[in-house]
Amino acid sequence: MAIKVAHLTNGTVNAGAELAAQLGTPAVVVYFASPKHDPQALAKSVAAAFPASTTLGCTSSGELVSGSMTKGAIVAMGFDADVVSRAEVELIPDIKASVDGINRTFAAWESRIGTKMIDLDPERWIGLVLVDGLSGAEERVMDRIGDLTNVNFIGGSAGDDVAFKETFVAAAGRTQSNAAVLALFECPNGFDVIKTQSFHASRHFLVPTKVDKAAREVIEFNGRPAVAAYAEALGVKPDDLAGQFMAHPLGLMIGGEPFVRSPQQVIGDKVRFYCGVDEGMKLAVLDSTGIVEDTTSALGSALKRNPGARGLLNFNCILRTLELEATGQTDEYGKVFDAVPTVGFSTYGEEYIGHINQTATMVLFR
Amino acid sequence: MAGQVRAMIDQIVEQRSKGNSVLATTTLTKLILKGLDPARFDANSPDDPIVIARIREVAAELNVTL
Repeated sequence: MAIKVAHLTNGTVNAGAELAAQLGTPAVVVYFASPKHDPQALAKSVAAAFPASTTLGCTSSGELVSGSMTKGAIVAMGFDADVVSRAEVELIPDIKASVDGINRTFAAWESRIGTKMIDLDPERWIGLVLVDGLSGAEERVMDRIGDLTNVNFIGGSAGDDVAFKETFVAAAGRTQSNAAVLALFECPNGFDVIKTQSFHASRHFLVPTKVDKAAREVIEFNGRPAVAAYAEALGVKPDDLAGQFMAHPLGLMIGGEPFVRSPQQVIGDKVRFYCGVDEGMKLAVLDSTGIVEDTTSALGSALKRNPGARGLLNFNCILRTLELEATGQTDEYGKVFDAVPTVGFSTYGEEYIGHINQTATMVLFR
Repeated sequence: MAGQVRAMIDQIVEQRSKGNSVLATTTLTKLILKGLDPARFDANSPDDPIVIARIREVAAELNVTL
């Protein structure tokens, strides 16, 4: 098989070898693991077990593997060279201070590949991006990537089993916090990108008129205190606003689709978000729809467009996972991915052109 | 004078997408995420020097020569 998946419920010091027993000798290994498995030891174990492979991964807040959602596990996908014929990977440190490492990484890749990143065919090349989920640097990482290339970089922000203390990304045996891992795959058979979120726009819009961009906080919407304006749009009392966040986040509408900005908490009269919001950005108040139904539809359409698709990487927002848990739908959601070999994890943010929330971003490999 | 803002945005999209409609959509999305919503500007939009300066910044970030 050109793509294989592996799943360990109990990590051991021999996790790499156990994954190798399931995956064989692929060209590329992508893995996601609960932080209960020592991230440093796991990265070294994986790199040692796959000496000829490109390896990358990150910590998770729950995992996905063909047909089921898991917790506390290690999941991995192995890609043979007929699916990923060339792979580059780099760990970029200290992204809170600067994302200039992306320029240096791309320059090195250009030198090795012999083509400028801006000239790579975006239908043949796909990027993966894994970011420290507590760095707050995702917007700058995605903005810089988007400046330098037309290749799509899809991915997610690393998790830590909902502790919100420390997350890790890993590449080629190196593991760090405050870092991002970028990978670039050449896929001769192509791929498809799926972005799905279970919301539609209501008739209400809010425009941030005063923000603290660095803190991802909105101080005022429509010239009024943020909490009061948001609550009024939903027809609830300000004290009840936070309880509406999961079902009614905001969305930057592009081409009729929301790029979701999820509120995290109320701080006095301000609202803090899980991703950046800019002054003047017209945001729709969103109403939620069914995650399982919408994801089934999105994946079904993609599988019809790509008959014989060989594997799926899935970056699924932790807020979606928490909602699925609250509604008792995790088994049902896992089964959505029965039809194709799948590996994924519950993220602290998703990456698709920019940094978004309450979304699943996926790459379907042909 | 009017219309320069829209013309500059169209130039950025044209140079980045080279006629590819998918890349044109992606480039428009990148501009919106950078705070420049092309839908807010048309041939009659005033040549606001602050907006024009911001577009020049964005063009430089995207390595587009205007």
